[in-house]
Amino acid sequence: MSNHIKSIIFAAVLSIVCGSLLTLASTGLKEYQLKNIALDKQKNILKSVGLIKEDKALSKDTIEELYTNSIRQMWVDFEGKIVPKQQKGTKDLPVYLHVKNGNIQSYIIPVDSRGLWGRISGYLALKKDGVTVSGFSVYNHSETPGLGGEIEKRWFQKNFAGKKIIDDRGKLVSVAIAKGRVADKIPESRQKNFVDGISGATLTGKFLSGGLKLTLIEYEPLLKKIQKKED
Amino acid sequence: MKITRTKAFKVFFTPIWESNPVSGQILGICSALAVTVQLKTAIVMSLALTFVLAFSNFSISLMRNLIPRNIRIIVELTVIATLVIFADQVLKAFLYDISKQLSIFVGLIITNCIIMGRAETYALGNPPFLSLLDGIGNGLGYSQILITVAIIRELLGAGKLFGFQVIPDALYAIGYKNMGFMVLAPGAFIAIGLIVWLQKTVSKE
Repeated sequence: MSNHIKSIIFAAVLSIVCGSLLTLASTGLKEYQLKNIALDKQKNILKSVGLIKEDKALSKDTIEELYTNSIRQMWVDFEGKIVPKQQKGTKDLPVYLHVKNGNIQSYIIPVDSRGLWGRISGYLALKKDGVTVSGFSVYNHSETPGLGGEIEKRWFQKNFAGKKIIDDRGKLVSVAIAKGRVADKIPESRQKNFVDGISGATLTGKFLSGGLKLTLIEYEPLLKKIQKKED
Repeated sequence: MKITRTKAFKVFFTPIWESNPVSGQILGICSALAVTVQLKTAIVMSLALTFVLAFSNFSISLMRNLIPRNIRIIVELTVIATLVIFADQVLKAFLYDISKQLSIFVGLIITNCIIMGRAETYALGNPPFLSLLDGIGNGLGYSQILITVAIIRELLGAGKLFGFQVIPDALYAIGYKNMGFMVLAPGAFIAIGLIVWLQKTVSKE
């Protein structure tokens, strides 16, 4: 009996010691981690509009400078109108604008999609015509490394550039991830709405396609508005 | 007594070559395959593992007379997991990009057989100082293989070291090509296999 009690006491003391050490480390380092995460988001916004080309190691200041110079965070109301933060309603959606010399170059839409193991968060950037994708980037996911995890790689993301989110009849179809290579699997008339899939990650592709579509449907009022303006 | 004859010296240096955890005992292969595409990630992974191994050995050895035998594996795992999470948190705070590249492999240090193995076979039966040396020695043994494999893979697979191009453009101009195979996991298998072969041949003599 005394042996059992000894084991239990030992286990309890060890858990308390280890637990408090981890709490200490976690709270102490939180500030640095949050800064890193915020910076990483900015980096991915810039990546989605092609302002950062390769996965080059850029200093923190360079990224922040690029970001403040060319990206504006705005909000979209239910009519699709872009409003600044002060006029934002409770249900308004965030959107980032890539601005150059006072003109909007692209609209960056935050994507929060279901994945196979957890959420996939990223950005989908549309050119100013509201139809052509200018880029896609992912800053957070928990997909399997080497399989679904490839969504964070450049080879996958670069395929989004130049794709269209509407079909020939002008209907919103979003960009979907094909099962295999687009050139082999998708009829030519629809190839502009698909990107190459990842082998071994069919489900990740399926969920991300769904997530992208849902997001775009949410933003449809905005998209309609900018598409009309271009015509 | 000469320094090379002392127990401490032996404890520290045997795992670096003679009974190397990767090439001698074929442990820790999973991470050695996964994080050796680039030299930078391999070095950070090596540091993280050496840190965890040294301190898990040290703290388990400190408690070795207190740990109740029937829950010793749980105790070992708790200590190891605490250290791994700590290492992961530090990486996330100060080396965010690399921590993203290493993704789950830092977390998977918990299940690395080298660490549990050293805790069970060495730290539980030896004093703290020797256990610490054993931990660092094994960590360096692992690091040495990881770094060698990463050099081979990054050099042949991407023509770079630490992300800087080392193979001159002139060579590419006359038809040299990067070995795409080395970027994939089988490339690491072959590199590790060659190292195991080399080690077995050399240490036989």
